[in-house]
Amino acid sequence: MAFGILMLASVIRFMSKGWVYDMYIRPKLFFPYYGFEWIKPLEGNAMYMVFILLALFALFMALGFFYRVSAIMFFILFTYVELIDKTNYLNHYYFISITSFLLIFLPAHRYFSLDTYHHKHLQATHVPNYFILTIKIQVFIVYFFAGLAKINSDWLLHAQPLKIWLPAHSEMPLIGSLLTKEWVAYAFSWFGCIYDLAIPFLLFIPRFVKPAYVLVILFHLATSLFFNIGMFPYIMITLTTIFFTENFHIRIIEILRSVFKIRQPDETLSTYIPSYKTLKVLTVLFIIHFAIQVLVPFRYLLYDGNLYWTEQGYRFSWRVMLMEKAGTAFFFVREKSTGKEIEISNRDYLTPMQEKMMATQPDMMINYAHFLKKEFKHKGIQEPEIVVESYVTLNGKGSRLIVDKTTDLSLEQDNFKPKKWILPFDKK
Amino acid sequence: MKKVALIFLLFSVTFAVVECKKKNQLEDEKDEETSFDKSGMLNNYSSNVIIPNIQVAKNSIDSFAVAYNAFLSNKTTQTLDLARQKFIKAYKDYQKMELFGFGPAENELVSANFNTFPTDTPQILSNITNGTYNLAAFINIDAKGLPAVDYLLNSTGYSDVQLVNLFATSPNRVAYVNNCIADMQSKANNIINGWNGYQSTFINSTGSEVGSSLGVLVNNLDFQIDLMKNAKVGIPLGKKSLGAKLPEKCEAYYTNSISVNLTKACLDNIENVYLGRSLTGNDGLGLDDYLSALGAQHTTGSLNDAIKNQFTIAKSKLALVNEPLSNSVINDEATVDAAYVEMVKLLVLLKTDMPSALGIVITYQDGDGD
Repeated sequence: MAFGILMLASVIRFMSKGWVYDMYIRPKLFFPYYGFEWIKPLEGNAMYMVFILLALFALFMALGFFYRVSAIMFFILFTYVELIDKTNYLNHYYFISITSFLLIFLPAHRYFSLDTYHHKHLQATHVPNYFILTIKIQVFIVYFFAGLAKINSDWLLHAQPLKIWLPAHSEMPLIGSLLTKEWVAYAFSWFGCIYDLAIPFLLFIPRFVKPAYVLVILFHLATSLFFNIGMFPYIMITLTTIFFTENFHIRIIEILRSVFKIRQPDETLSTYIPSYKTLKVLTVLFIIHFAIQVLVPFRYLLYDGNLYWTEQGYRFSWRVMLMEKAGTAFFFVREKSTGKEIEISNRDYLTPMQEKMMATQPDMMINYAHFLKKEFKHKGIQEPEIVVESYVTLNGKGSRLIVDKTTDLSLEQDNFKPKKWILPFDKK
Repeated sequence: MKKVALIFLLFSVTFAVVECKKKNQLEDEKDEETSFDKSGMLNNYSSNVIIPNIQVAKNSIDSFAVAYNAFLSNKTTQTLDLARQKFIKAYKDYQKMELFGFGPAENELVSANFNTFPTDTPQILSNITNGTYNLAAFINIDAKGLPAVDYLLNSTGYSDVQLVNLFATSPNRVAYVNNCIADMQSKANNIINGWNGYQSTFINSTGSEVGSSLGVLVNNLDFQIDLMKNAKVGIPLGKKSLGAKLPEKCEAYYTNSISVNLTKACLDNIENVYLGRSLTGNDGLGLDDYLSALGAQHTTGSLNDAIKNQFTIAKSKLALVNEPLSNSVINDEATVDAAYVEMVKLLVLLKTDMPSALGIVITYQDGDGD
């Protein structure tokens, strides 16, 4: 079994380029994840340093240069950046975090890498299938859960939110007029669901790998055409090559060798075999990792109410493209003794992206309420209470209040307990 | 061959199920096809709504300039009054262009340069005393435009005779108003001229992404209703000051009898933009038609009906508010508040439901649909 994993690292390098260009704006407040409130952004331009380091470590990973250290640093830095503000949560960022975590434990630098060039004893032409399987399982989980999440009435029976998103592109050449047709939204919805559920199985069956990969390319290119989803399609298109046979990857390495004029080193067939102890530790680690991966998406079952409405247990579950949600949140600072209110202009404190995300996500409202309480205490208001009137629309069903306006959100804590003050979606 | 067969199977299952579902859907949804002439809508907006409205606003500022110069060549209380009449007309017609702060108007920062209120009267007076100032400087953003002229033509504590006398004896005051007017005229001119070239760009940008004409129009419409709700009504009403009324923060506070009318003109313009309705009342293709074509729904009935209905309610509540607004916020709080509440509901529909139904993207960042 040969090495394809090196290629994955090069993707990560590629992606990181985009993020270096990406400006890291410094808003006035950040929305931390529960349990990670201690994670703060660095002051001023230091955040640029983080991104430069990210790019550097990604490059090192790709070249297989101090591979293990680079992988660890990449994982830590990337995860750190993502944990600063949940406004920026995206499933594909989470996916990158996880993948880079797995890569730490994989011997992806044992062939065609700078590490083996400098330390010949590291060189191995083969590694146990075991390692490659971990990435495959991770990809399987992503697709399969994304597919499972699509089995819901809005997606399958109402073609929502695609029925909203597709007609917005009616100006596209050739296919534009098709996109306004209702059956097209249904076709996309059903195809998307079946694709997500079927593709991980097809990729595992050697005979189907090639046609499945054609579907992977078509599917992800289509999504990148219609939706604003950045690098994700390209990451998946590249990552799924791990399902190909070794010949495919060897051919790519040969092409790279001829392009960069790297001569073929003297090779003797050898297999990297980790020690029994290493293997045991890794196995336990991977089992725990995948158990968490499988269980986390189901945690929503512990909460009442419409998952898409409350978003309790929504993140980290590969729920992608599932809802068109928008809201307008009016926050009020109320002086407890007099009951008098100040209506907050969110724009004064939040970036447009933060405002947009916060208006529809109850746990972010708590973070914001805590911030406002502190802010207005400073401004001299005794015992400020923070209440919100937030109107949210989900999949075009009409805006309605999401939160009970009598609840003082500054007294609530962001944790895993059910948020009782979220109003039910279907209140008649 | 097997793989090909399998893919075909997948496709056919998909389509079979889709066809079934489609038939079920047909009964409750009339608009199965939502083809809509987007560039026709943008054409109507630019030719019949945006450009004519900006033109009207510009013409009114020009006529005010003429009336002000007539006052200067013959300074009497009568000519002052005539100039004030033209000023009121200009302020009202300005409401027709305030919303269109995009395209060529973006560089001119319309609402900031024309209508930052309350105006900074000490800054204005100090500028006049010094005689040297740069109206383009950021420090003078609240010492220029319509609110500054509003103050200088109606300074509190001066009778009309005294005011006429002030203009007769202070060339700096005369010049300050002139400079404010000239600043607005040149900006209005740039905007009108800019639209000549921009119109085709506007009509041809038929997407719904950030920076598309539709996205820009909707964002500006939402910005305007936000401005109306907060600056024109909410702030004087004490919504940001623990209920403490701030009458001096009303729009056109010194003319003091037109604030409600200005807000009405603003709301009318927002409605006209929503409907794609021209100054002459021709209702062309607009956001209302687009929402209908998309079959957008609200909790009960169509979203378009909900929005149109809310315009009617908000307008009827605003009609009950008496001039001057600076007085009503104190003596008739409940009536003003009722209008405010309906504006908030309208804002939610236009800012949350409408962009969501149109699939308009409002940020540049990547998303994954959650």
